[in-house]
Amino acid sequence: MASGAVGAGTFRARLADPAARRAALNQGIIYVVLVVGAAASILPFLYTVSVSLMNLTEATGGRALPATPQWSNYVEAWQDAQFSLYFMNSVKITLISVGGALVFCALAAYAFAQMEFPGKTFLFTLLLSTLMLPEAITWVPNFITVSWLGRISPVPWLNNWPSLTIPFMASAFGIFLLRQFFQQIPRELWDSAQIDGSGHLRYLVRVVLPLSSAAVMTLVLFGFVGAWNALAWPILVTTTPDWRPISYGLLSFLDEAGALLHLQMAGAIITMLPIVVLYFFTQRHFIEGIATTGLKG
Amino acid sequence: MLLAYSFLAPAFIIIGLFGLFPLAFAAYESTLRGLNKIVGSYDGLGNYVRAVDNLIYILTFWIAAGLIYFAVSTIARAVQEHRQEQTNAMRWALPAILTAAGTALFARFVYVLLPEMLLIPSKLRGQNNTQEAFRSLVVETWWLPKVQIALWIAVVLLAGGVVWGLFVNRTVARDSREPIYFVPFFSAGISLVSAAALIWLTWTEINAAYAEALEEGVGLELWSQIVTISAGFLLLLLAWRLWESAGQRSSNTGMALRLVGAVALMAGAWVLIAELPRVVSAGDEDWWNGLMATVFYVLGTVPIQLGLALILAALLFQKIRGQTLFRVLYFLPYVAPFVGTAAVFRIIFSNRPTAPLNSLLDLFGAEPLLWLSEPAGIIQMITGGRIDLGPILSGPSLALVAIMIYGIWTYVGFDTVIFLAGLGAIPNELYEVADIDGAGGWAQFRHVTLPLLSPTIYFLSLYAVIGTFKAFNHIFVLRQAAALGTTDTASIVIFQAFKRDTRYGYASALAILLLLIIMVITLVNNRIASRRVFYG
Repeated sequence: MASGAVGAGTFRARLADPAARRAALNQGIIYVVLVVGAAASILPFLYTVSVSLMNLTEATGGRALPATPQWSNYVEAWQDAQFSLYFMNSVKITLISVGGALVFCALAAYAFAQMEFPGKTFLFTLLLSTLMLPEAITWVPNFITVSWLGRISPVPWLNNWPSLTIPFMASAFGIFLLRQFFQQIPRELWDSAQIDGSGHLRYLVRVVLPLSSAAVMTLVLFGFVGAWNALAWPILVTTTPDWRPISYGLLSFLDEAGALLHLQMAGAIITMLPIVVLYFFTQRHFIEGIATTGLKG
Repeated sequence: MLLAYSFLAPAFIIIGLFGLFPLAFAAYESTLRGLNKIVGSYDGLGNYVRAVDNLIYILTFWIAAGLIYFAVSTIARAVQEHRQEQTNAMRWALPAILTAAGTALFARFVYVLLPEMLLIPSKLRGQNNTQEAFRSLVVETWWLPKVQIALWIAVVLLAGGVVWGLFVNRTVARDSREPIYFVPFFSAGISLVSAAALIWLTWTEINAAYAEALEEGVGLELWSQIVTISAGFLLLLLAWRLWESAGQRSSNTGMALRLVGAVALMAGAWVLIAELPRVVSAGDEDWWNGLMATVFYVLGTVPIQLGLALILAALLFQKIRGQTLFRVLYFLPYVAPFVGTAAVFRIIFSNRPTAPLNSLLDLFGAEPLLWLSEPAGIIQMITGGRIDLGPILSGPSLALVAIMIYGIWTYVGFDTVIFLAGLGAIPNELYEVADIDGAGGWAQFRHVTLPLLSPTIYFLSLYAVIGTFKAFNHIFVLRQAAALGTTDTASIVIFQAFKRDTRYGYASALAILLLLIIMVITLVNNRIASRRVFYG
């Protein structure tokens, strides 16, 4: 509001005019508040980086900055915590579950957005109501279901990829997100596709999905973040490190590393880095995806 | 049409199996004693009694009453519209009720099948426990006559109801655009069946409890407790209704109604305060502490978090240079993996004298604090700890406060982004008009921004409250043994009951109670929102 009035005149002239002076002051206060907020958001991260580069005495001695950066901490943490294993596990889990989620959520979202069938509202309400369920209520039943499915299917489920990926291959959130985008596609496109003799499935793959690449991207991002954050469920269904994801890996490393704060922080950085980098590259999609659906991943 | 359903099928199978079926499964599991094994003996409401003591009988009774009220009011509304607007609502009644009955019978089929399937592992004990043996037992169980009968009755009724409904739908589509009454009747039917099941369960459980008490020669005052607590609740409800209706009346009658309402309120509150602690006294202390910690957490984080976010969003919205950069930075704590940031805060809030916060305290000449390892309540600490304030008045432990600070730090950016989206949706003309009317910055914020932002505020507060009740990850990482469980919120207590104590049935019962709490919060919130929220 104020910025337009401030543009004209020299600094001295602005200071002479009381209204402009007040506007400039307001502007200054706004910036101070915003910068304090930004500092509060990123200081913990800067502190982490700093500690992760210290040696042990510096880390426990309460210093703010390392004398000489110890880059070897990262190598040490990487090896001690078996991060290469956990990293690969998390990447594999993410790829399988996001791949599945893309197929299943896109199909369901397409049906909700572009097709007419009896019970549509009812099914959609039923779907959205699952968002209200606390994760805690699924722990016991799903653990039993998964261990039981492992007994009848050719592959074991516990300590293996199915238990970590298949339950997450379809979610109300994913369907909702994609539906929001699919709905914006004009009906005329479908009419012309029909004239070309294309069926629903081909139309979905050839036209709808490419047009909603932003939504697909958002879904993939959320899939990554979700997989990186998963903790309770992996603790329940993994007893060996073979398929343990990175968050669980970091947690066990934190307990093992004990007083070695610099290694703990190096481990934390290693865990956070991929997501943070991914976020910086795609932040526009990311923030808009959250803002348009108003839901979390 | 069939294609649409086949598009939906895979997603619904997965969500059904891992998202909806667990509800039925947890409800079943919560009635089992089960310690350290999957199937225990049937225990009725035993797990719930262990958690919240006799309060559970009152709860089930009231849930049943609520369900019946819901069903009756839904049907009444349909009948009323049927009379007034000449809509043909009644032809939906029979197919819908048939479908509801089919669904209920399908649930019964699940409850017939589940116990049999869960018995399989114990049947195999002692024999050679191979996958083939397991599979053949599964097939055998599936073909048990009682399972098959239950299945087919359910399927026939369900299919009959659905086909009939589709048939009615087809005739409707032709003549007019009148509303479809299938769902109201269906949900009314489901509510009635669930209410009946709940009442039956409560009734048999209460009788069993009396029989047991008689055998042991102890007195039991269940019924009187149910009556007194219910009376207390009713008085509160009455007070609320009176207060509401008072607003619409003339000043004199309004005053009188308010006076009666206030009396009812005090009487109801007095009954509840006097009686409730006695009713729940034998409940699980961990669970109550967990709920208390959760409530502390909600009260300590949600208002602060939303307030800070609103300020930041309002400032960011003023065409500020570097808006994108600020937004990216604010959002970072929310995006960064929780375990990583929680690990950082574990060190920031560490009890070492050289840890960041303690060094800061040292700078001001204050003694170092234990932070995450401090079980004492903060009000207790501020008052010097000389007087014992009891668990509620001494406030959340310092450890929990540290976790709250972490929670606020994480979510402020998220809330800011949502608020920014909400602000962006407010039409600019409104501000121009306000400008012409001479409204200043604050007046514009108060009379234009806040009312138009109320849907966003409502959504975020509901989301934050529910999120807190579900919160697990960061609390699990930040909790220290030295904090003596004062940081354990509801979800953590459930996780420990399941993972550490392997009490499957008990953990399920707690989870169901948690779900009930979340549902009540959502309902109350929706109720308030429908009055207070301004949808422009």
